[in-house]
Amino acid sequence: MQSIATVYFLTLRSLREAVRNPAQEAGNVLIPLFFFAVTVGSIGSIAADAFGIDNFTGFQVPVAILAAASSISASAGLGTITDIQRGYFDKLLLTPAPRSAIVFGRIAADGVRTVAITAFIVGVGLIFGTGFDTGVPGLLVLLVGSFGFGMAYSGFNAAIALRTGSPQAAAAGGLLLFPLIFLSTAFAPKDVFADWLEVLATINPITYVLEAQRSLIIEGWNGFDILWGATATLGFSVASFTLTFLALRWRTS
Amino acid sequence: MSAIWAQGLTKHFDEVRAVDGIDLDIAPGTIFGFLGQNGSGKTTTIRMLTTLLRPTAGSARVDGLDIRDDARAVRRSIGVALQEAGLDDVQTGRELLTLQARLFGMGGARRRGRVDELLAIVDLEDAADRAIGTYSGGMKRRLDLAAALVHRPDILFLDEPTTGLDPISREAIWRYVTRLSAEDGITVFLTTQYLEEADRLAHDLAIIDEGRIISRGSPAEMKARIGTDVVTVQVPAADALDRAAEVVGDVAGVERVQIADGAAVVYVPDGARAVAGIVLALDDAGIEVGDVAISRPSLDDVFLEATGHHLQVEEPQPAEGGAA
Ligand SMILES: Nc1ncnc2c1ncn2[C@@H]1O[C@H](COP(=O)(O)OP(=O)(O)OP(=O)(O)O)[C@@H](O)[C@H]1O
Ligand SMILES: [Mg+2]
Repeated sequence: MQSIATVYFLTLRSLREAVRNPAQEAGNVLIPLFFFAVTVGSIGSIAADAFGIDNFTGFQVPVAILAAASSISASAGLGTITDIQRGYFDKLLLTPAPRSAIVFGRIAADGVRTVAITAFIVGVGLIFGTGFDTGVPGLLVLLVGSFGFGMAYSGFNAAIALRTGSPQAAAAGGLLLFPLIFLSTAFAPKDVFADWLEVLATINPITYVLEAQRSLIIEGWNGFDILWGATATLGFSVASFTLTFLALRWRTS
Repeated sequence: MSAIWAQGLTKHFDEVRAVDGIDLDIAPGTIFGFLGQNGSGKTTTIRMLTTLLRPTAGSARVDGLDIRDDARAVRRSIGVALQEAGLDDVQTGRELLTLQARLFGMGGARRRGRVDELLAIVDLEDAADRAIGTYSGGMKRRLDLAAALVHRPDILFLDEPTTGLDPISREAIWRYVTRLSAEDGITVFLTTQYLEEADRLAHDLAIIDEGRIISRGSPAEMKARIGTDVVTVQVPAADALDRAAEVVGDVAGVERVQIADGAAVVYVPDGARAVAGIVLALDDAGIEVGDVAISRPSLDDVFLEATGHHLQVEEPQPAEGGAA
C-alpha cells in the first residue's frame, strides 16, 4: 500500500518535471519524427516493389515510437543523476518510503510519457494516411504495450544512473538501446536481410515489439504477433527491473 | 534512554579511516555539537546514524532503534538536513514540502496545515509557489530545514547548517534551532566547523579530528578543563620558535607551551601577571617578540590543546551563500 502511494506521488513529481521542461519533451518527439519523415521520404516509394510493403509509412510508425521511448528514458536517467548530484535522492531515501518504490516512481512516469508520445506519433501517422487497422481497441493495446516497454527502457537507464551516478554514462546508456532498433526489422522485413543480420534480428526482442505494433497498425488482429510482442516486452522488463534493483542495492549499501 | 547512542562506530573507505571508532551517548532534548574541521568525519558520522551509509564496524541506536536492523523505523523518527541542501530546482517550495509530507504518510488537512505552518516558520511564505531554482542559498537552507521537520521528528540531524551563509541567514538558522530545542524538546545533532556556532548553540559538545573524538563535554566544561589563561606570543622569526618555546617553558608558573601558526601558545594560571616575565625571558634570550595576547581559554584553545593545531575553516565559494 505504502509502495503504491510512493510510486504514485513520485510519478506525479516526475511528470510535473516533464511538463515544466517542454523543450526536452519536444526533442524526444521531434527527433524520431525527423527520422520517420526522412526514412519514409527516401525509401517509402520503393518499399512496395523492393520488399512488398504497401503501407511503408504505417510500417515506420513503430520505429518512431521506439526511438522516442529510448530518448525519453535517457532523459529520465539524467533526471535520476541530477537528483543524486543535488542530494535530493538522499532526501527521498531518508523518508520511510520503500526505496524501490522511490526509483519506480520515475520509471512509471516514463511509461506514462511513452504512452503520451505514442498517441502523438500515431496521430501524426494518421494525418499522413497510415490508418490503424485494428481501430480503437488496437490503439488501446498499443498504448498498454507502450507503457510496458517505456518502463522497461527506463529501468535500464535508471540502473545505469544509479550504478554510475555519471551524466555521461546516462547519455551513453540512452544510446545503448538505439542500435537494438537498427538490429531489428526497423527498416525492412527480415527476408531481405543478410544472414548475420537476420540472426541478430531474430534474437533481438525489439523485433517482436516492432512486429506486434506493426500488426496492430497495418495488418489487423494477429494474436501470434501480439503474444510475442508481449512476451518480449515482459522479458525485457524483467531483465531491466532486475538490473535497476541490483543497482539500487549497490548504491544504498 | 539515550536519544543517540553509538559504540565503536567506524567507517573506512578503503585506506581512509573516515570515522574511526566513536562512542556517543546523547540525552534527549540536547543540542549536541559535533565540531571538527574539513574531512574530520562529521558527514560520514551523520550518514551512518541516519541510515544512508552502512558502518564498517560498531553499532548505534537512534531513538532506541538499531540503525541496521530498524533502519526504516529510524527514518520515521529523524529529520535530516544534509550538508548540501538536497533540493529539486524544478518543484516549488510548497510542492517539495508536500511531497515530503506525503512520503511520511501525512494526508489531507493535516498535511496542508503543517506545510503552511512550516513555510511561515522559515519565512518562505512569499516564495512558496516559486520554483526552488530561483531561491537564494539562505532560502534553500531554510527550506531544507523545513523539509527535515515536516513529520515532527524527535531527533534532528543538521550537517553544517550555516556553512557558507551570510551572518543574517546564519542568525536565522540559530534562532530556529534554539527554538526547536527549547519549545519542542527536539534533540539536535549539529555538526559545525565554526567555534562560535558550537559555543552559542551546543549544550553538549564533541570535538572530532581525523575520525576520532578527542574531547567531550559542554563548551564551558571544556574551557574550564584547560584551567589556565592563554598567552599567545607571536614570534616573527620562524626558526626561533622552538627555542622560544623552550625559554618560555622555564618561566615560573607556566604549565605548558605549544607552537601553532607562528606563535608560542602559553598556558599559565594568571596570564596578566605572567606576561611581563615571558616577554623579558624571550628578550634575554635574544628572541624578537611580535604581538602578545592574553585570553581566557576559548574552544579554539581546547581544539589546539587536544590536536596540536588550530581549527582550519575552509569557507566554500560564496556563490551558494546568497542573502536571506
Ligand atoms: N565516499 C567516500 N569515499 C572515499 N572517501 C570518502 C568518502 N566520503 C568521505 N570520504 C573521506 O572521509 C573523510 C571524512 O569525510 P567527511 O565528509 O565525513 O568529513 P567532514 O568532517 O564532513 O568534512 P567537511 O567539513 O569538509 O564536510 C575525508 O577524508 C573524506 O575524503
Ligand atoms: Mg561534511
